[in-house]
Amino acid sequence: MKLSPSNVRSQLTIWYVGVLGALLVAYGAASLFFLFLSMREQVDHNLLEDMETVEGQIAKEPDGSLTLRLHHGEEGDPGLHRFVEIWSAEGKLLYRTPQLDGQALGGPPSQKEASEDISPVSERLPNGLRVRLASSPHHFDNYIVILRVAHNEQAMWRELREFTTVLLIGLPLGVLLAGFGGYALARKALAPIDAMTLETQKISAQDLGARLSVQNREDELGRLGAVLNAMLGRLQGAFEQLRRFTADASHELRTPLTAIRSVGEVALQEPKGPAEYRDVIGSMLEEVDRLTRLVESLLVLSRADGSHVQLHRADTSLLSVAEEAASTLEVLAEEKRQKIDVEGDGDLIVSVDRLILRQAIVNLLDNAIKYSPVESRILIRVHPGKNKKACLNVIDQGPGIPAEHQPYVFDRFYRVDKARTREWGGAGLGLSITRWAIEAHGGEISLSSKGGDGCTFRICLPIASDTPSQTAGRVSATPRMENDL
Amino acid sequence: MQEAKSHWRVLVVEDEAKVARALREGLEREKYEVVVAPTGEEGFFLVNAEEFDLVILDLMLPGRDGLQVLATLRKRGLQTHVLILTARDAIEDRVEGLDKGADDYLVKPFAFPELLARVRALLRRGRTEQSPQLRLADLEMDVMTRNAKRRGQYVELTAREFELLEYLLRHKGQVVSREMLARDVWKETRATPIDNVIDVHINRLRRKVDEPFNPKLIHTVRGVGFVLREE
Repeated sequence: MKLSPSNVRSQLTIWYVGVLGALLVAYGAASLFFLFLSMREQVDHNLLEDMETVEGQIAKEPDGSLTLRLHHGEEGDPGLHRFVEIWSAEGKLLYRTPQLDGQALGGPPSQKEASEDISPVSERLPNGLRVRLASSPHHFDNYIVILRVAHNEQAMWRELREFTTVLLIGLPLGVLLAGFGGYALARKALAPIDAMTLETQKISAQDLGARLSVQNREDELGRLGAVLNAMLGRLQGAFEQLRRFTADASHELRTPLTAIRSVGEVALQEPKGPAEYRDVIGSMLEEVDRLTRLVESLLVLSRADGSHVQLHRADTSLLSVAEEAASTLEVLAEEKRQKIDVEGDGDLIVSVDRLILRQAIVNLLDNAIKYSPVESRILIRVHPGKNKKACLNVIDQGPGIPAEHQPYVFDRFYRVDKARTREWGGAGLGLSITRWAIEAHGGEISLSSKGGDGCTFRICLPIASDTPSQTAGRVSATPRMENDL
Repeated sequence: MQEAKSHWRVLVVEDEAKVARALREGLEREKYEVVVAPTGEEGFFLVNAEEFDLVILDLMLPGRDGLQVLATLRKRGLQTHVLILTARDAIEDRVEGLDKGADDYLVKPFAFPELLARVRALLRRGRTEQSPQLRLADLEMDVMTRNAKRRGQYVELTAREFELLEYLLRHKGQVVSREMLARDVWKETRATPIDNVIDVHINRLRRKVDEPFNPKLIHTVRGVGFVLREE
């Protein structure tokens, strides 16, 4: 199609009008054709009837000549549509209707005409009159005359022409009206979409709270609206998260930057001794270290978001990883006279990147040590879970995490106690990284805590399948970069 | 520092002026002869014209990419050591660098003690003390028998404390960052929060090795790390 209007409304209308027009044209043509057939059949039928009538009217005069005894009034009636010619077998014209004004209904009869009936054929007289002509041989005593009868078809053609004219005028008019109707209908049907477009245009990144109004959730448009609304909801969530993340990240970056700046500026206010300068530079470097760590943690998370991290999985006993993590952090617990107990099923094998999983457990254990009181006990328990999972619980006896904070503890930069965590040097990314590490292994992490009763972080990982060949090849697939994280 | 006498020539290809200056000063202090090329073009020209023992190469350079400089160097067939510096943290870049013939890489921002340690290792100066007997002042360690003595007295150390002291002793006189300790002694990834663990171990080591004796050997360099040396 060459025409391609920009809106659906016009496209629909054009298609509709096109299809309707084609249908009507076909219908009109067929009607015309059948009308013609039936009229002609009528003409032929009359013609044959006339033939018989005329046969009966032929009379033989006593002198041997033939006359046509027409009924009264027929002879000179100019409206009569019937023309008659009678020929002798030898080719001599015996009679011709006067209305023909001497025009012939054809030349002398052929051999064929003398022997059999000729069914009606269309002829055109020299004066242009369209006629339907039939002939039939007629036996009189011992000789044959050929009877030709013709009917004027002028009336039939006129009727057909009139019918065609009606069609030609009426059809486009009908199609035009139908087109207007179709356009109006399409507009009515599509109006809700236009409304939806307008509504959607008004929703911007600054105002993602708005939703499309949905009249009927069951129809197509309602479903579209509902789907769009759901998408808007997700978008809003993502934007909100991004906004919070950016705000938090810049806050976390600003804190060490402020420290570096003020320490440096104050140090330059008046001359100092080498030891003091050394101290100032050291202090600034500490903040730089904090910044570096923060940036590295963010990189870990952003790479995790882009799924750029390749896990170097190997079948590993979950308990043994827990024991490693515990032995690494044991000294911290000792400093607070805490006790770390690791217990459980050592036969639970998971397919994991040992370094990353250990880091995740160290994060959890580090938190547990920080927040648990002096001389308390921290328990790491490994046990089989539902659905072929191996679970690890880190159970502490700290103050617990209030219910209102629990849904957010895994969020980036989230801190239960803002003031307190700062002094530990964390930026609130540890649990985010832990959650990422566990989820990257196809596992789940959850928290349960009843106020004041300590809290339990639970990690559940899929138990390694019995086919170690799957993982064996991947362990050394790429060079291990110890510095990656 | 007996090895400081030798003249190792180091080319630093680095466009960031401050970093280049810090590298030059830091390396010259360690008695290296340092040439700085501020652009890839100049680095390219220099590695073609002169010979160096080590090239410290920034990957992100204006003009000519660091990797191209590296490729040229390797095409000349020179056995110059190449240490890549990169701010690009993508693993692929590093792998590409190592594929093209770099010997080692460091991700910016790096700690200077770490850079020095890598440089020494590349110039085969870091392994001068592979012997099982290690010594600084009156501190002695025997790695084979796993004994540590201070002024002739045995010092009881846990396995981790022993490894930590051994690492410090092998790097005596050099500042060692917490990052290096976390990686080389604890074998942990960078993001694992074990700075506190390291500090606790250092304190314990001090109590056992330093407190009863003089002079003190384990020193904290604030903001950088630790160093084992006689004051």
